[in-house]
Amino acid sequence: MKSRVRELREQRGWSQAQLAEELDVSRQTVNAIETGKYDPSLPLAFAIARLFRLKIENLFDPDA
Amino acid sequence: MKRRDLEHRGGSPAALAGVGTIWVLCYLLALHALRSWTLTPWQTLLLTALPALAGGVFLALFVLHLRALDELKRRIHLEALAIAFPLCTILLMTLGLMGLAIELPAAWGYRKAWLCLPLLYLVGFAIASRRYR
Repeated sequence: MKSRVRELREQRGWSQAQLAEELDVSRQTVNAIETGKYDPSLPLAFAIARLFRLKIENLFDPDA
Repeated sequence: MKRRDLEHRGGSPAALAGVGTIWVLCYLLALHALRSWTLTPWQTLLLTALPALAGGVFLALFVLHLRALDELKRRIHLEALAIAFPLCTILLMTLGLMGLAIELPAAWGYRKAWLCLPLLYLVGFAIASRRYR
C-alpha cells in the first residue's frame, strides 16, 4: 500500500528514528511502511494519521 | 504501556541471551552426566528436568520479549515460525521414511531431531527479516 508517510515526515524534518519514537515502534517498521513493504495495523495507521493531523484516507492509498 | 517499558520487565535481548546460554549449559551438563556418570534414579530425574526448567524460564522471557516487540517484529517472528514449522515437519517426515529404507546414522536419531526446529526457526527469521529490510 502506498503512503505519504515519508513525504510528511521529511516535510517536518524528522528522521525515521524520531518518528518511530513518537509512534512507539521500531525504525524498521517506519522504513517498511514508507517503502510499502508493510501495511500498518489499523491502530498504528490511526496513530500516524493523528500525529500528522490527517485522515487515514489522506495518508494511505490502498489502490496504489 | 509502552514497548520499552515492557522490555524492561525482563524480556530484553540480553536477558534472553543469558538464560539461553544457561539453558544450553544445563543441557550439555545433563547430556554429559547421563552418559558418563553413575547416577541414582533421583539424580537422573533431576538432571533430565534441569534443562527443561531452564527452557521454561527461557520460554517465559521469550514471551515477554515478544510482547515488547512492535507489530512488524511480531509479524517477522510469526513468519519465521510459519516457515520453520512446515520445514521441520518435512525434514522429520523425510527422515522417518528414509529410516524405513536405510540405516540412518545415530546423529540423525530422534534425540537430536529437536535441534532442527530452533535452527530452522533462525532460517525462517532470516528470510522474514530480509523481506522487510
